[in-house]
Formats: sequence, C-alpha cells, structure tokens
Amino acid sequence: MAQPLVKKDDDRDDEEYSPFLGIEKGAVLQEARVFNDPQLDSRRCSQVITKLLYLLNQGETFTKVEATEVFFSVTKLFQSRDIGLRRMVYLIIKELSPSADEVIIVTSSLMKDMNSKTDMYRANAIRVLCRITDGTLLTQIERYLKQAIVDKNPVVASAALVSGIHLLQTNPEIVKRWSNEVQEAVQSRAALVQFHALALLHQIRQNDRLAVSKLVTSLTKGTVRSPLAQCLLIRYTSQVIRESAGNAQMGDRPFYDYLEGCLRHKAEMVIFEAARAITELHGVTTRELTPAITVLQLFLSSSKPVLRFAAVRTLNKVAMTHPMAVTNCNIDMESLISDQNRSIATLAITTLLKTGNESSVDRLMKQITNFMSDIADEFKIVVVEAIRSLCLKFPLKYRALMNFLSNILREEGGFEYKKAIVDSIVILIRDIPDAKESGLLHLCEFIEDCEFTYLSTQILHFLGIEGPKTSDPSKYIRYIYNRVHLENATVRASAVSTLAKFGALVDSLKPRVFILLRRCLFDSDDEVRDRATLYLNTLGGDGSVVETDSDVKDFLFGSLDVPLVNLETSLKNYEASEEPFDINSVPKEIKSQPLAEKKAQSKKPTGLGAPPSAPVSTVDAYEKLLSSIPEFSNFGKLFKSSAPVELTEPETEYAVNVVKHIFDSHVVFQYNCTNTIPEQLLENVIVAVDASEAEEFSEVASKPLASLPYDTPGQTFLAFERPEGVPAVGKFSNTLRFIVKEVDPTTGEAEEDGVEDEYQLEDLEVVPADYILKVPVFNFRNAWESMGPDFERIDEYGLGQRESLTEAVNTVINLLGLQPCEGTEVLASNSRSHTCLLSGVYIGNVKVLVRLSFGIDSSREVAMKLAVRSEDEAVSDAIHEIVGSG
Amino acid sequence: MILAVLFANSEGNILVERWLHWRSFLVKLGAENLRGVKNEELLVACHKSVYIVYTVLGDVSIYVVGKDEYDELALSEVIFVITSAVKDVCGKPPTERLFLDKYGRICLCLDEIVWKGLLENTEKDRIKRLIRLKPPTEF
Repeated sequence: MAQPLVKKDDDRDDEEYSPFLGIEKGAVLQEARVFNDPQLDSRRCSQVITKLLYLLNQGETFTKVEATEVFFSVTKLFQSRDIGLRRMVYLIIKELSPSADEVIIVTSSLMKDMNSKTDMYRANAIRVLCRITDGTLLTQIERYLKQAIVDKNPVVASAALVSGIHLLQTNPEIVKRWSNEVQEAVQSRAALVQFHALALLHQIRQNDRLAVSKLVTSLTKGTVRSPLAQCLLIRYTSQVIRESAGNAQMGDRPFYDYLEGCLRHKAEMVIFEAARAITELHGVTTRELTPAITVLQLFLSSSKPVLRFAAVRTLNKVAMTHPMAVTNCNIDMESLISDQNRSIATLAITTLLKTGNESSVDRLMKQITNFMSDIADEFKIVVVEAIRSLCLKFPLKYRALMNFLSNILREEGGFEYKKAIVDSIVILIRDIPDAKESGLLHLCEFIEDCEFTYLSTQILHFLGIEGPKTSDPSKYIRYIYNRVHLENATVRASAVSTLAKFGALVDSLKPRVFILLRRCLFDSDDEVRDRATLYLNTLGGDGSVVETDSDVKDFLFGSLDVPLVNLETSLKNYEASEEPFDINSVPKEIKSQPLAEKKAQSKKPTGLGAPPSAPVSTVDAYEKLLSSIPEFSNFGKLFKSSAPVELTEPETEYAVNVVKHIFDSHVVFQYNCTNTIPEQLLENVIVAVDASEAEEFSEVASKPLASLPYDTPGQTFLAFERPEGVPAVGKFSNTLRFIVKEVDPTTGEAEEDGVEDEYQLEDLEVVPADYILKVPVFNFRNAWESMGPDFERIDEYGLGQRESLTEAVNTVINLLGLQPCEGTEVLASNSRSHTCLLSGVYIGNVKVLVRLSFGIDSSREVAMKLAVRSEDEAVSDAIHEIVGSG
Repeated sequence: MILAVLFANSEGNILVERWLHWRSFLVKLGAENLRGVKNEELLVACHKSVYIVYTVLGDVSIYVVGKDEYDELALSEVIFVITSAVKDVCGKPPTERLFLDKYGRICLCLDEIVWKGLLENTEKDRIKRLIRLKPPTEF
C-alpha cells in the first residue's frame, strides 16, 4: 500500500528531497546489520530504526523471517548506554513483536529494566512487556505491575494502568486482582494517573452495578483533577442514573445536581459532556433540560467548528424527542445554514425542520432552496428525508413541500438522491390524500426526462396502481404512452403494463387503451410485443368490449405471492421438458440476504420497492451452494447451517459474517465478505484460522475468494474434519488475509500491483447448539407420550439470580438451540413459574424432546427442572451436559 | 477508542499511518476541505458511528479518527496534543522535509501520546522529556 514519495516538480531546491527518497525494504534490512557490530554506532543505529519505522508506518509488512531477524539484532542494542537509542529500541520492539516469534529473547532484558532504578526504564519496559506478554509471563511480572500502579512517578503508574486496560481484554482474571491498587491510584494527585485509573477501575467493575454506583458517589463528591477523567465520570454517572431509573422514587433525580454543576466547569469538553448527559436522561423534564440547552446554544456561535458541530449534533438529537425545548436556538441555528462545514449546515437544517412550526415552514424552505445547490448528494438525501417527516407532521403545508420536492427533482443529482425524492413523494401521496393528484403529476413530469430506468419503471408501476383511482385518469395516459415512443425496452414494457392497468380498471378508457396497445404489437422488442399481446387477449381487446372479470385482474395485476428471488432461482433451475413449469413449486420462504442488502434496508418507511421480507429458512440454498464445490462434495448430507454470526463491527472497512455448516464428520465455515471501500479491490481473499483452542478440529480444505470488488459480497470457505458424530466444540480465531489493490475511482480500474494485507476478525465458536436442529412437533403431549420414558433423564438446576423469568427462559432456549413448541417461549408478565416445551433433532438424526419447568423466587433466584426424552440415552445425557456446562 | 492517526503531505501521500487503514477516505476528505485552511484550524466530520477531526500543520495534514468515548471533543484534545508535540519537535509548523528529518522523534512523540487507541499523555513539555527518557518535571 505504500505510496512512493515521488517528488512532483523538479524546480524545488534539493533540500526539499525526502531523506527517505528511494527507500527500499531490502536495503534497510541489510543496513540493520549494524545492530550486530561489536562497536555500536548509536547514531547510525537510531537512523536505521527510524527507517524501519518509516517503512512500517507506510503499511510495509515484514515476513516472519525478516521480522524475527531484525528483532534478534535489535535486542543486542540493550547493551548500549545511549539513552536516545534505548528509547527507540523500546518503540521498535513494540512495532515488530506481533510478527516475531521469539519475543522470549527480550523478556529478560525487559525484566531487568522493569526493576531498574531509572524510572523511565521501568515505565517503558512495562509498556513493552505488556504488549508482548502472555498469561504465564504475566503471572510472573504481576507483582511488579501492582507496585508500578501505585508508583510515585506518574509516568510509571500510567504505563502500568494503560497496560492494565489492554491486558483486561486478554487476561481479565489477573487484572481484576489489581483493583485495590487501582482504587488507590484513582485518588492520585496526578491528573493523568487519575484518568487512566478511573477508566481501568470502571472496566474492572463494569458488571457490578453496586460497585460502579459507589465509585460514582464517592468521586462526584471528591475532586477530579483532569477534564478527561471528569468526562469519564459524567459518562459513568449517566450509566448509574439510567440503571437506577427503574426503582427511582419521585422527587429529585439523583446526581442531577452534579451534572448541572459540571455545566459550569472551565473545560469545554466537560461542559459539553454534561450537557449531553442531561439531554439523554430518561424522561428528562423541561426544567432539567433548560440549563443544558442554554450552554449548547452558546456553543452554536463558537468560533471552533468542533464545538459548533458537537452542539448542533446534540441539539439535533434532542429535537427528535423535545422539539419545543430546542426552538430557542432556532435563530442561532439559522445562521449555521451558511456554515462552511457542510456537516454542521446539514445538521442545522434538519434540526430546524424538526423544531419549526407550521408558520415558519415557508421561510425555511426559501433558505433551504439556496443551500441545496452547494451541498453533496449525501447531505441532500438527509434534507429530503427531513422534509418528508415535516410534511407528514404538517399535512396542510403539503403544497409548499411538494413543490420543493418536485423542483429539486428536476435539478442535477445522482440516483440515490433522486430515489430519495421519488420515495418521499410516493409516501406523501399515500399518506396525504389531498397531495395525491399533484404528486402524481410531478412524477409524470419527472419520467418525461428521467435518466434512470429503475425509477421510471417504478413510477410507471405506481401510476398503474394509483392513476386509475383518480378523478380524471385520462390525463396520465399521454405521459405513459410517451414512454412507449421514447424509452428503452425495459421502460417501454412497463409502460405497456401500466396502460393495460388503466384499461382494466377504467371501463371508459378501455377502447382507447386498446388502440394504443395494438400499436405496441409492432414494437421491436419481444417482451414489449408479448405483453401487449397478452393484455389485449386477456382483457378482450380483440374487438369485443367485455367486462373484465376479477380472475383476469388478479392474474394480470395481483401479486405473485412468491418472492421474486425464489422465482428467479427456480426458473434458472428449470430445464425445458414435457412438464410445464409450476409456480406452486417455488418456495415461499425468503432466503437470507447478503449483508450489504441488509444494511441498506432501514427502519424508514419504504416508498417504492419490495414488500418487507419475512424471516429465513436457508438450508436448501446452502446445500446447493456447498454441493457445487468439489472439495466439499464428499462430506455427505448437510445437517445444519447456523444463522450468520457477525465477525466485524458494523462500521468497519470490511464486513464479514460466517455461517457454520455442520456435516456428519465435517464443519464448513462460510465467510460472507463485503468490501465497503470503493477505492479498493481485494484479491485472493481467505480467512486464516487459528484452531488451537479447538483441538478436535483439523483443517482439511479451503476455498479462497479470487476477487472481492467494492460492495459485492463474496464467499470464502474453510472446512474442518472432526470425529464422526461427536458434537465437538471449540474456539477459532480468524484473520482475513488478502491482496489489496488500489482502484482509481474515476475509471474504476485497479492498479496492477497489490499489497498483501490482513485484517483481524472476531473469534468464532462452535457450540453445542450447532449440533441441534430446530424441528417443531405439533402435538407435544402426543410426541412426548409416544417417545416413552426409556431414555428419560431428569435433573434440577439452580440458574442463580436473573433479571427476570423471561430472560432465564430465553437463555436456556438459546443455549440448547431447540425449537420452542406451542408458543411456550412466551411468558405471561409477572409470572412466577413457567413450563416451556422444546423439540428438535440431534446430530445423527436423533429426535429430542425437552420439558423445562422454571420457578423464580422473591430474590429473583431461578430454579429449573429439565426433563429430556430422546431416542438415544447418550443424547439425553448430552442435553443435560449442555445445560450443566452452560 | 482512537481508531486511527494519519499524517499526509500536501499531495495526499502518506507519511504516518497507524492502526486501521482509512487512507483513501481521509485523503479524499482532506482534499475536499483542507484547501486554504489555516494552521491548526480544526475541521470535523462524522462517518457512520466514527468521528474524524483533522487539520493542517505546515505542509502536513493530520487526521484522527475515533469512536465511542473519543468523540469530536476528545479527538480535538488528542489532535491538539499531537500538533503541539510536532511543532515542539520541529520548532515551527513543519515543511514536509523538516517533518521527515524529525521523523524518528515524531514517532516517539506519537508513541507517548496514543498507544493502541488510548490517550496517554497530554502535555508537550512532558512528552519532550519522556522521549529523551527523562522523568516529568512535576515529579
């Protein structure tokens, strides 16, 4: 990925040349041999380390051999007494260690430094050691780290505390033992030590509500030295308020005074944090909100863009729930419409649209019109959505708002923007009856000059539904028929369908529609001609004017009743034969969608487009997919495919989820990958898996993904063998490996040379529930009786203190992965006991039935009786084992 | 978490890139908005759930990306520490050449300021001492 630092124009002086001009990894690695010299040249060594850092910071990667070699030689530099060099050595060790095998070689040197009299050696050695340490080593150095946390030198203490925060992810049980020392450090006089200690202490105790509450109570009374720590404290305070909200008494809210006091802090960061915390209080009153809104209002006119942004962003959120509270800021907000920063301007506009009253709509629209011309499409879409909500709020103002929408529809813009406008108009037409006729005409005008086939066809479809129901349907015909002359075949075909709908639904127009349809019989495109013929025949366009019966209407214009995707798949699989294609054979369940589509769907009201989708059953599709891959063809029958498990956070560059496919003696991981960076093309994509925590699994095959372009999901597979029939469990750590090529966004072409790169994914677990298939039984009692008590196993379990009975029931259902029957997964509110019936099939095709009886006492302790019946003794035991170990 | 820190020159070439790869996105953001911006004037943007605060210092543009507790205000604190440390090392808002001449020192400063996503040090004088392995003065 390194972009060479090439000098662009040669007129500049020589001194403008980069000291790293022409730097090359191989040469630097050669130079690194100076580290081995018996007479160390510290200056030279520092220069070489700088070059290594430069390479690493450019995204250059070292192979394991290279990294290990450099790493070994770097350790020799501990012999040097040069302080500057030592500081560099600490840094380069941290940078190289993840890729070097033999970190053990430096631990003794670092341990020595850790006990050094020089404080700064101690601090740095701690940072480095914690970066490269594992559990065993950590226990050895734990004693020193605990001492370091309470060290007099703030740098040493901070080093240990920050290391603690990182180590908490990997070795929580060890770090949790330090809470006494961390507690002491929270009282430190050094601002940063307090900040780091507070962050660590909260992380250690985050699951202990009482402890967090105590921490907050004591600190809000005491002094907090750094603004950063104060911000953390405000966050933790809001958390405590949130959690205690359920059982709060009437009267003053606890800690509100503290938050309000923070509004007068001298650091802007603290003021803002407190203001935001107040606005986010559950059920906040106007009296509580007012002081927070006042400080945010002051920030609106700050000279710093960051403050303006923060304030307007928060007010925008407040406006969703308390629009009246924000109206005082409207004047300041209006001046932000012309803000240089477009994010601020857009937030201001959308806030104003939420807080504005009916009388200010017209004035606001005028301001927005000027503003729209100089923002990017992504911001325009936000504005369009805000206008749509405003119109639904003030239906009487539809005229002005609809006009605005139709005006911007005529201006330049990309597909997404135009689609947002069209969707908005459609929603307004649906929800505001008065807006219907003018809205339809706006859409008609739009398709007269629309460059997007998708939008034209969608609008024609919508016209076909709504147009015939208007007072004067004939006025739309001209717009529709124009499409038959002027557009591409896809649009022409849609226009034919729309015309036919008018003909079918409006008897008075029928003869004239037939004339138009007959002209379409001479179209150059097959589909257009076919449609015209079909409609003419079924509607009686052969001369006789007949009443169109409802069967014909249903056939022509009713919904297909099957998902289009499924229909498409079935049609593709259909081979021409004597037997005609049967639409009833198309499955009605909706297949799981690729991630990108899921993301695109939002909770917003949908305008044009598909009906909302139903949940999923996917085994068929998966089976077909897997059997098409030769490497997996001998794995036998697919037993179960899990729901996709996300392996990345939602906003990262690459989105990856995984589906676990269970076979008799194999497991296949199907990684669904999406590349969300338009400027990148990924090739040779594979997930490298470390299965050291899944001992019974051994990797047998993999199928890389050759190419993963932007926003087109693709799959890579990995297969493991495991002992047959054994429900082996384990944990797999995943790394996405690929070659990345930069793509020129203007041409869409990828560069020829790519760079190897990798991307850390979340861990994946294979759990017992993966070996259990959800299969319902319709009469549980009958099934239970007929299974008989031969292999029945009954036992009782204490589930400890639970939030509620519902939570306990759901936890057990999810743990077992069985199908709840007869609606027994639903509990009556406040019930003290409950029986839940589950059924399913265990791997090896063994039927399992489970009867769970729960009871909860006044201290919310839950007890559970588990009765299992199955066709196999071992399976009944296995079910108990799952609960016992879960 | 502080997700990324990135330095680029005026042509958009990368000088330092730490942690996540955000370069294309950030460089584009900078190219669109940084023209004519004064030294250390902060610009702000958000993308999905992450915040980006960025600025110009001499010939170099600096970007910091964060999420959750590192929102726009916390990030402006981070970028303030970074700019003051860089100015301190270079003695002035650096040219690209000066920045590269002081590259090693700047890496050390960054190491003291942000380590694996957390803000560690906030005062330039203390940072200046720490990179020479000298204890802080207040101690």
